[in-house]
Amino acid sequence: MKLDITNLNGFDHQNRGVGIRNLQLILPSVVCSTHISRRIANEVGAVTFAHQHGCAIIGDDVAGIGDYFESLAAHPNIGSVLIVGLGCETIQGNELAEKLVAKNSSTNYLIIQESGGVDGTYKNGVKAAEDLQGKYPPKPAKLTSLHIGIDLSSPNLLAAEVVTSLQSQNVKVTVSSSHKNSGLNFSELMESGVHLILSFPDANQPTSGFPFIPVINIASDSALHTAIATDFDLPNKSSVDQVIEKIQEVIDGAGTKVEKVGAGEIITPRVVRSV
Amino acid sequence: MFNTKVELKGYQRPNGLWGFRNHVLILPLHSALSASARNIADATVTKDSYGAVGISHDWSGESDSDYARIFKTISGFAANPNIYATVFLTINTPVEIDLIEAAVNFGANKIEVINLAALGSMEKLFEVAVDAANRLLVEAANEHRHLAPWSAIRLGLECGGSDALSGITANPALGVASDHLVALGAYSVLGETTEILGAEHLLAARATDPEVGKQIVETVARYERSINYEGIDMRGAQPSRGNIEGGLTTLEEKSLGAAKKAGNAPFTGVLDFADRADKPGLYFMDTPGHDIEQLTGFAASGINIVVFTSGRGTPTGSATVPTIKVSTNTQMFDSIPDLIDLNAGSIADGTESLEEVGARIFNEIVEVANGRLTRAETGRHHEFSLSRMYGTVIS
Repeated sequence: MKLDITNLNGFDHQNRGVGIRNLQLILPSVVCSTHISRRIANEVGAVTFAHQHGCAIIGDDVAGIGDYFESLAAHPNIGSVLIVGLGCETIQGNELAEKLVAKNSSTNYLIIQESGGVDGTYKNGVKAAEDLQGKYPPKPAKLTSLHIGIDLSSPNLLAAEVVTSLQSQNVKVTVSSSHKNSGLNFSELMESGVHLILSFPDANQPTSGFPFIPVINIASDSALHTAIATDFDLPNKSSVDQVIEKIQEVIDGAGTKVEKVGAGEIITPRVVRSV
Repeated sequence: MFNTKVELKGYQRPNGLWGFRNHVLILPLHSALSASARNIADATVTKDSYGAVGISHDWSGESDSDYARIFKTISGFAANPNIYATVFLTINTPVEIDLIEAAVNFGANKIEVINLAALGSMEKLFEVAVDAANRLLVEAANEHRHLAPWSAIRLGLECGGSDALSGITANPALGVASDHLVALGAYSVLGETTEILGAEHLLAARATDPEVGKQIVETVARYERSINYEGIDMRGAQPSRGNIEGGLTTLEEKSLGAAKKAGNAPFTGVLDFADRADKPGLYFMDTPGHDIEQLTGFAASGINIVVFTSGRGTPTGSATVPTIKVSTNTQMFDSIPDLIDLNAGSIADGTESLEEVGARIFNEIVEVANGRLTRAETGRHHEFSLSRMYGTVIS
């Protein structure tokens, strides 16, 4: 089976590129603003995530996590970004915002310590997020280059066949197999800008997702995967054609299993301890 | 002044510790179950019930260099005495089974294990866990508080976002409250090794035993070595940018101010991260300065109430441990009122004495212990962070 590669529908997201989803990201620049970010995101139908970073970080992590947040905000599936900072943290929300606005005008930011506290930030945040959605409505566009990520937490024959098939169809493919843990592989794939991810989780790991990148989970024949078979988008022993068909469906807007549950924390790569 | 006549009431757990809340905690033992944990807790909230509390984290049982530290943190957290019941979400790995057993050994009051592998899907896990949480919430609501001794209080002393007034207003006022509680027989724990750098000799001089003094100095030295090992000079990286904007000039100024939270009582002992104290008194615990990692470590050690002073203001709190925020300056208290419980800026304004604010903090600790909700609790700020000694990409 072939993807309808010359006729893939997406959304034009300024300098972020053309994505397969039109999502707004509420980006907490520090652990202290993750909770308010979640309240705002739930209210306006945006995506967000919990994390424990942004403050008390030192050394290479200051630049590393700052770069990671920039990659999140620059992802092609994101239509607009609202950064929520606290005010006194190491990664300053306003400085991050200035960098991001320079690249994409569909970016705004709020600082809790300058917004009257929790309720003030929530109200201002909901308004700012809605303003961004109003100002940057979905802008349909053709997806001229599709980029698919493969999380290969353990070796898999089907994955190799899928890669060969996709490459023969001029789809860009990035494989991440550095970690047994899908979450860390997802972060690497996000940074390379993949539109969607095919995940082959390790035999002892459940399905998992990423906040704004659809993840198609494909089962192995392990005991755990057999026990939770219905959590997977595709069963063990799927054919290449079935995988391609699922990719086409997801690009066309069908939600993956994990998109329906909601992704948990993302795993931010860290190299140094907190202080 | 100090309201020592009030009756302290709590819930005594089988291991002897006292709780001042009767929470049902939804605790995922795998990062992939974190979203479910929060959704399950949210689904139990009604206009009449606070509902269950849920946390999320990015650990999946990796057997890396931080394994022992994280294992201790999560199992201790599950056994905090403010918890009536912990609902573990698992995929039933050997690590998870060991961790649940460790939580029971730490004295977890009541546990329930919801196993994804047995239930077959995230959807089913959600349904079963919401039912379990609702049943446990009814049980918890039927429990009664009993008269508790002062030793029931295990107070955590924390500061975050310090400014030039921290060491003059909120921190010494908290020190007054801490001294009073320690004199009455309570536990009080100072954390944040980062933030006593340069003041360690003064704390060591207050140790009840020279060995404890040596341990305080050694804890700070060990910490500094671990940072230097990364090729970073802490004495150059602190105070933080936020502190400098708040008017702090040097690390020593910050540390001298931070140490004032512990008042003037003698130090009874030094605790490793997330370790539990076994007799009343004032302790120093080796924790990072990261607000939420510290708060999580405190909760894992059995601390059941925290006072958190701030010059800049922060909304954060713990899923299980009530966290009272005290502002160091009136301007901040007035500008972000809904995230601060008490203002100590009145000391600098000249309208209240240190002793008066210390008494207000003491009285608030007692009221909150007896059930009054803090701002962080009413806002459902249930942040959680794991303290790692190594990065997530290094094993």
